[in-house]
Amino acid sequence: MRSRLLTSKAPLPAILALRYLWSTRRRASTTFLSVVAVGAIALGVFALIVSLAALSGFQQVLRTEVLARTPDIEVELPPETSAEDAGRAAAAVRALAGVREVQQVVRGRGWLLGGGRVAAAELVGFDGSLPPSFPGASARSDEAAAGGEERPGLWISRRLAAAWFLEVGDLVDVVSPRPTLTPLGPRPRVRTLPVAGVYDAGKAAEQERSALPLDVAESLFGPGRRRLLVDAGGSEEALEVAATLGPVLPDGARVATWQELNRPLFFALRLERIFLFLGVSLIMLVAALALLADLMLIVANKREDVGMLLTLGATPVRLRRAFVLLGALLAAAGTTAGGALGVATAVLADRLHLLKLPGDVFFVEHVPFLVRPRDLVLILGITLALALAASYYGAHRAAALDPVEALRR
Amino acid sequence: MSVQVQAQGLVKTYRDGARRVEVLKGVDLAVEPGELVAIVGPSGSGKSTLLHLLGGLDRPDGGRVVIGGEDLSRRSGARLAALRNRTIGFVFQFHHLLPDFTALENVMLPGRIAGQPPRRALGRARELLAEVGLSEREDHFPSELSGGERQRVALCRALALDPPLLLADEPTGNLDPASGERVLELLLALQERHGTTAVLVTHNPEVAGRCARVLVLDKGVLKPQSPASRGS
Repeated sequence: MRSRLLTSKAPLPAILALRYLWSTRRRASTTFLSVVAVGAIALGVFALIVSLAALSGFQQVLRTEVLARTPDIEVELPPETSAEDAGRAAAAVRALAGVREVQQVVRGRGWLLGGGRVAAAELVGFDGSLPPSFPGASARSDEAAAGGEERPGLWISRRLAAAWFLEVGDLVDVVSPRPTLTPLGPRPRVRTLPVAGVYDAGKAAEQERSALPLDVAESLFGPGRRRLLVDAGGSEEALEVAATLGPVLPDGARVATWQELNRPLFFALRLERIFLFLGVSLIMLVAALALLADLMLIVANKREDVGMLLTLGATPVRLRRAFVLLGALLAAAGTTAGGALGVATAVLADRLHLLKLPGDVFFVEHVPFLVRPRDLVLILGITLALALAASYYGAHRAAALDPVEALRR
Repeated sequence: MSVQVQAQGLVKTYRDGARRVEVLKGVDLAVEPGELVAIVGPSGSGKSTLLHLLGGLDRPDGGRVVIGGEDLSRRSGARLAALRNRTIGFVFQFHHLLPDFTALENVMLPGRIAGQPPRRALGRARELLAEVGLSEREDHFPSELSGGERQRVALCRALALDPPLLLADEPTGNLDPASGERVLELLLALQERHGTTAVLVTHNPEVAGRCARVLVLDKGVLKPQSPASRGS
């Protein structure tokens, strides 16, 4: 027995939509346009998911790289703060709930000289152990490993060590841009330090950063502004701790969280996402137009049917519902296919490292993909909204047909 | 079940570019309940236009149509649709069956549009198809039926809700003589059995001759056919 949709209890618009969806396969022109419309929607959703997943993947790697080298909170103490006051402030901050570790540092810029080469560097003078913003540190020295202690000296990036053929114990000159005035005129301040160890600078970092003992740094840069690096144990916790710092700090101290320290970068990342989304959304617009063209062709093919249904007493509202539902079914097919394919592609490409990158050029070895549920909801929402708008227009045209004209041959 | 149909001073004008063509120039018509009336006239005389106005598919530029005491011009679009669904059965020259639905489903359509439960619409459709000898063909799509069979299905669809008024526009015009005769016989038999008021538009004098009363639409005006031309 043939299928008898009309004997089911489904409402008439649903019956018409399902039957028309099924019957479009009989006409080559509508089948082709339906396939194109569904394919365009699927392709648009696929492209949006995969491109946003690639961007999210890259951004996540970049954020992780950058955040690993950024303190949770950095407090800049007022210029006149003495070493004692700085120590007291550090102790007060350390006593706060949620604070794991506080470290005093000074920051400056200078040059590194070694083996006839020179490199500009950001110099961080630290107190105690090497700050966590210098990850992957290793002394690479038998004696240091045996002694279990870090040698005082200069910590340079692994990349610089490799480029300059430096090993632990080799001497490097650190030059400050701040000269010392002598009777013979200004003389550059130079301190010669042994290489204490190397750390992993991360592939995203472009400029050399080196760490050296706090007292040496202060002798190079003068009594600069001391800073406190606060470890709060995580990004979210840092934001909570930062809010409680004010009362225990001296007047004039400035608190900056990891967010504020990287604000331009995060802003750029967000902007990049927005523009990519807008760009790829244009594909969805084209797909919605393809759907509209398909629906218009179906309406033209079903003109006589619409005329007869109106003659039999079907209201334009019910016919409009039928065609909106037909468009929604086509859009749902495209969205489901594109969504499933996009998520599967992104997940597989990420897990299997399908897209390799030259590691010496980029900071990752393969294209990372990250599918964020929020992106997925946004993509599906926009697709369905555009498709429904196109369907509604097509359906409106169908329902507005004059039955007498529609039945004329 | 039957109903009285009245048309008073119906005027309908079409625009043909800058030219205005007055198709109906004040048509008056009264069809008594259960009566079968034929309207004849040459092609382009406005027979179909008159039928569309009687069926509420189009609105007149002047005059009014009253069916069962109700003035169609006072009905909104939705109420006109309900009237077409429950009160009027249409049969056209072309069957206009929905090609994606089987014969049975096509006959069920008016019932489903009216909101009948599927079982009831199905029972009525089967009954009608049996009445016109198409029980064996109920699961066939229109493309799998002959011209005469399609028109018989269209007739069943027109009668699905037992409408008190049947409007037929050249119902045999597109059929070979044998099929046309069968469809006409069925139409007349069903009309008589159900006591339906019927208006049949045709340009075929033989078909018109089978009706109780024949009216001629000529130059936009409806007149009774002269006895002399009836006899010929």
